[in-house]
Amino acid sequence: MSAHLLRTLSSSFLIILCLGHNPASGQAAAPKIPRMADRKPDLNGIWESLSTANWDLQDHSAYAGPMWEMGAIAAVPAGQGIVEGGLIPYLPASAEKRKQNFANRRSADPEAKCYLPGIPRAAYLPYPFQIVQSNKDMLFIYQYATASRQVNMGKPREVGADSWMGMSNGHWEGDTLVVDVTGLNGKAWLDRAGDFSSDGLHVVERYTLTDQDHVAYEATLEDPKIFARPWKIHLTLYRRVEKGFQLLEFKCIPFAEELLYGEFRKKTGK
Amino acid sequence: MRYRHSLIGPIVFAATVITVSAQPVAKTATASKAWKQPMTSWGDPDLQGVWPSTSMLQTPMERDPKLGTRAALTDEEVAQKAARDKQFHQLETGNGKGFVPLAAGWFDYGQANRQASLVVDPPDGRIPTLTAEAQAREAARKKHWNEKKDSPDTWMDLTTWDRCITLGPVGSVMPFAYNNGQQIVQGPGYVVFRNEMIHEARVIPLDGRPHASPEIRSWMGDSRGHWEGKTLVVDTTNFNGQVFIGSQGGGFGDSGAVATDQLHLVERFTRVADNVINYQVTIEDPQTWTKPWTIAMPLRREADYDYIYEYACHEGNIFMHDALAGARAEEKKAAAAAQKGAN
Repeated sequence: MSAHLLRTLSSSFLIILCLGHNPASGQAAAPKIPRMADRKPDLNGIWESLSTANWDLQDHSAYAGPMWEMGAIAAVPAGQGIVEGGLIPYLPASAEKRKQNFANRRSADPEAKCYLPGIPRAAYLPYPFQIVQSNKDMLFIYQYATASRQVNMGKPREVGADSWMGMSNGHWEGDTLVVDVTGLNGKAWLDRAGDFSSDGLHVVERYTLTDQDHVAYEATLEDPKIFARPWKIHLTLYRRVEKGFQLLEFKCIPFAEELLYGEFRKKTGK
Repeated sequence: MRYRHSLIGPIVFAATVITVSAQPVAKTATASKAWKQPMTSWGDPDLQGVWPSTSMLQTPMERDPKLGTRAALTDEEVAQKAARDKQFHQLETGNGKGFVPLAAGWFDYGQANRQASLVVDPPDGRIPTLTAEAQAREAARKKHWNEKKDSPDTWMDLTTWDRCITLGPVGSVMPFAYNNGQQIVQGPGYVVFRNEMIHEARVIPLDGRPHASPEIRSWMGDSRGHWEGKTLVVDTTNFNGQVFIGSQGGGFGDSGAVATDQLHLVERFTRVADNVINYQVTIEDPQTWTKPWTIAMPLRREADYDYIYEYACHEGNIFMHDALAGARAEEKKAAAAAQKGAN
């Protein structure tokens, strides 16, 4: 018996062993997920992305941050992108604007100014957020900038005026919460690398519990003013399982005032 | 868009003493026998919905000293308020002679009612005397404000409201000329109290866990809740010592003060009818007030006020830029004039 055949046989044996151990094989048994009294998936909890998406949605090597004074602390970790297909399909003029945004990111990123994060960026900021799921509407509360948004689960609401966080209308498709977000003013960036959209942005988010502590998050972004076609991002939201974990306050305006208004501070002394 | 309280102060003051209609309402509603408290699917009293404080806009924080310990206005007093309000409302919406003021269509008015003050304890409806330490602190703060508000050296010379940071957990609920929405959303083990004014959302755990470490301080504090029968009781500590509590609008009202980090709040939410939650907050800070005091008012659901729209205060804060840039421009102008005079 050749070594090759031995390897093949033993790996087949391993596969058979694995199959024998996995009751979910063959016919896919639904994963065990928490459910509300009405049997809808229970998304209540505190969630956080562990991706590098807030630095850069697309695949990227490590690179220096915009502030040399902070050395390695402000550097950007390398990351695998979360954009389906790898690249954001910018229209040519938008690709140019993205480059300008990147060059000016130190002060131009709305996150630096403590502005509301918009959707979908709120989902992958490096801060936890909490979903409070009631028997009526849902509330998403983000630690960053005390942002929050209601997800309407009843009759869809019409957009009043455009806003940073938009109007969120949700519904269930099987075990997936689908949130249709319109009325976004497009002023929020999509990450710290200058990725952006306009007030033509329409986002459809999908939240699917894959087990007790993980949510598969998907968002489709459509904005014909900026992108050549709709595109998708995928990431995992992890439940913060530490005992007693709670959202804490991050009111960041006081941390941004020197950046925003420093040039108008009265110069004292000689 | 946001109107700055320093600009509209006089109008707002007028709004607080004038009423819209003579429809009297009781000071606090009592539970009707026919109404049954709805429960959530997990068994908590269901308080969910948007409960604006708008209806109490005509009730001042502190009672007119002339009324003493009388907490309820007479029919005649309510009618007088209503008559004054009619004039004010005409002024606000235009008088038919082409005069349409700045704020037409913007302000909330509230509803005439018998409650003589939002402060219900002490019995005279007045905020208790400040401690000697707090009096000195407040005098310094107000001197600074009075000298600097028209030409701020930095943002630190303006209020935390001007800066769009927060009105704190008490100020965010107090009835004001706009943004009076208060929302309650519940999930198993949690209640969220969400305020329209500068988009706050306090997540309140109900599982009996202790307060966060005293090293963790914040503007909105650390809240823990529990049920006493149908009443939600919320205990809040861990404040950062920068939160103003006082007359409506928060800032520099004579009756207000910045509480220390020893501030302790106990709030009570009791739903007494389909459209009414009685809200009560007891304020305790021995380093600021000589005794605890309590504000109480009904929060009334309104048919067309069932959703809280985003208030992106900081994002649209052109006031900060203009106030600071304006102060520097004035100084430059004065320096140039002085230079010219010297030559």
